[in-house]
Amino acid sequence: MSTTTKAGPLRHALTLNESACVKGDTLLEATDVVIRFNLRGKTLTAVRSASLALKAGETLAVVGESGSGKSVFAKSFLGMLDKNGRVASGSIRYRGAELSSLKGEREWLSVRGSRIAMVFQDPMTALNPLKTVGEQIREAAALHRGLDKEHSRLLALDMLARVGIGEPERRYGQYPHEFSGGMRQRAVIAAAIACGPEILICDEPTTALDVTIQAQILELIKSLQRDLGMAVLFITHDLGVVAKMADRIAVMYAGQVVEEGLSAEIFYDPRHPYTWALLASLPQLGVKGEELFAIKGTPPSLFKEIKGDAFAARNPLALKVDFEHEPPFFSVSPTHRAKTWLLDPRAPAQEAPDTVRRLRARIAEAGKAAGLREPNAPTAVAKADGAKKRKAKKAKEQADE
Amino acid sequence: MTRYILKRFAQSLLTVVLVLLAVFMLLRLMPTSGYFTREDYTEMNETARNAYLRSLGVLDHPLVQFKNFIAKAAQGDLGRSITVYPRTAITEIIAQKIPYSLWFGLAGIGISMSLGLWLGVLMARYKDGLVDALGTAYVVIVRAVPSLIYLFFIQIGVSGLLGWPMVFYEDRALSWILPGLSLALPGLAWYAIWLRRFMVDEENKDYIKFAVAKGLPRGKVMSGHVLRNAIVPLVQYFPVQLLLTIAGSLIIESIYSIPGMGGLLVYAIRQQDNPLVQALVLIYSVLGVFGVFMGDVLMALVDPRIKLAGASPEREAT
Repeated sequence: MSTTTKAGPLRHALTLNESACVKGDTLLEATDVVIRFNLRGKTLTAVRSASLALKAGETLAVVGESGSGKSVFAKSFLGMLDKNGRVASGSIRYRGAELSSLKGEREWLSVRGSRIAMVFQDPMTALNPLKTVGEQIREAAALHRGLDKEHSRLLALDMLARVGIGEPERRYGQYPHEFSGGMRQRAVIAAAIACGPEILICDEPTTALDVTIQAQILELIKSLQRDLGMAVLFITHDLGVVAKMADRIAVMYAGQVVEEGLSAEIFYDPRHPYTWALLASLPQLGVKGEELFAIKGTPPSLFKEIKGDAFAARNPLALKVDFEHEPPFFSVSPTHRAKTWLLDPRAPAQEAPDTVRRLRARIAEAGKAAGLREPNAPTAVAKADGAKKRKAKKAKEQADE
Repeated sequence: MTRYILKRFAQSLLTVVLVLLAVFMLLRLMPTSGYFTREDYTEMNETARNAYLRSLGVLDHPLVQFKNFIAKAAQGDLGRSITVYPRTAITEIIAQKIPYSLWFGLAGIGISMSLGLWLGVLMARYKDGLVDALGTAYVVIVRAVPSLIYLFFIQIGVSGLLGWPMVFYEDRALSWILPGLSLALPGLAWYAIWLRRFMVDEENKDYIKFAVAKGLPRGKVMSGHVLRNAIVPLVQYFPVQLLLTIAGSLIIESIYSIPGMGGLLVYAIRQQDNPLVQALVLIYSVLGVFGVFMGDVLMALVDPRIKLAGASPEREAT
């Protein structure tokens, strides 16, 4: 991939524009965000008190099935909820500045594109078919960086080269229909990073692409993140993608973050039954001749108030308390927490189901294959502790019998 | 591009010839008495009539007549009117009438396009708001109410209210306003409703969301993306609308007594003035067909996806 720059003087514009940005600082912090939509007189609560924090330079993956609220949650960071939607409560802070109180387009313009940019799922429709690709990259850059036509053109050319599009001069003047799907997604990414954002939100950027292209796009996002020092919020339902990309993972279900932790923690030591189920349904981890695992049932209706744990109804391991009281977050490690009663000390010993236990071994293999790091020390200790506790409890149960 | 244009041009030419041939052949089925004015017909005896018909060439084989008609038309001779304007050259008749229809038509289009497109933009921009509701009400009224009702209302009501002339006088500019406005009303509704519809369509597309996410202000998104794309499907109608102004408006020209082209074809058909009918059909079909042709060329110019010369766009792999 070529990253040669024709516009040398513009290079500086691409490095982070804020000096105060140290890797690890919290850039974006969403706390107890509730997002509601009015649909034909009814209220749908798409995001139910979800919290997330995105640190500078990291990749945070938000994982969940369709309708879990992950896209809506991310869109609220850009003030791009549909007209009938609103952030009903909670706070979204970007570098300490409250975003949820921004009113109207004018105020949002200072954030959109220039601070937080977004790449959408389908590159086939994300570009205006009647404008040249170059112009679509150039226009936003010109606006945000206050560049004149010629300079913004040079910047756009540089962006095209950066995202690995060969012959940028020629490609600049071409229309989207002259680009393949993968090339279009590269162009979309070029347009998104042309404004020099600190945060890049990728909303299932590879879902609509060919599998062979997916890996290339993921690789591109990774390398751009490294080069430009962006934080990436990666929304996906594909755990395979997550393993390659994410530093941290937040699992969303029915509008809530149910488990959050370092990538390795989520893969090696998942604690929430939903995360177990999600991992168990990874086709890559299935065994030949064995039926693929699918989560039974459907997510709860978000039109109604949800009592207790939203996943309880689909969870074969649900406790009585799950149907009555919503679980709080329990910390597993300083970086890992899950919202399930199973982690409550009072909970009965609950061995992870067979599938999940068998999974661990497979995940370990798959994780190694995907270059996943072994879980770090505290997690390992926590895990060992958990296992010991479980074993002890089991022994006690058996004794009782 | 050139190949595409040539191909479409040839198709258009063929269409015109076919239309013309059909009308020409049908007219040959009419009784030959139509080639005489009433007085001539009664004055002449059988032999004189035959001699006259032969001199006109209408006793030849229809295909020969067609060939002669085309050959003459190519030299700018459309023949002479028989019953409507006896013995007057048809080119002379239309040369006198076209300017009225053309100027009124252009004024009408100018008004309907500028106001209609503007109204359409406002309706899309403030969708479901007051402007949208009023605009929709206007469009519904214009489309649903028989035009004579509001046209007469404008002619009688408004001219009475403002003390303006009720019919057209060539030397009184005030008398030009009402027919010009009346001509613009349906077009205005047409432009407004279609532009609104296409803009609303475009606004919901993914690339608009992406443009917003890039941080473009709404005004820029609206003008640079939504309007730009929404106008494309309308562009192809512009040429044909412009060209067909020459045909004039039957109703408006008759209620305001404008001596334009409006009623000419209907009148010629009623009077069985074969040469005049042929000539008018030739003119109108040429205008209509080439208007569409030019619309297609214009489309190809504004929409890069219409790839010219048949070659499918080469897409390059990642």
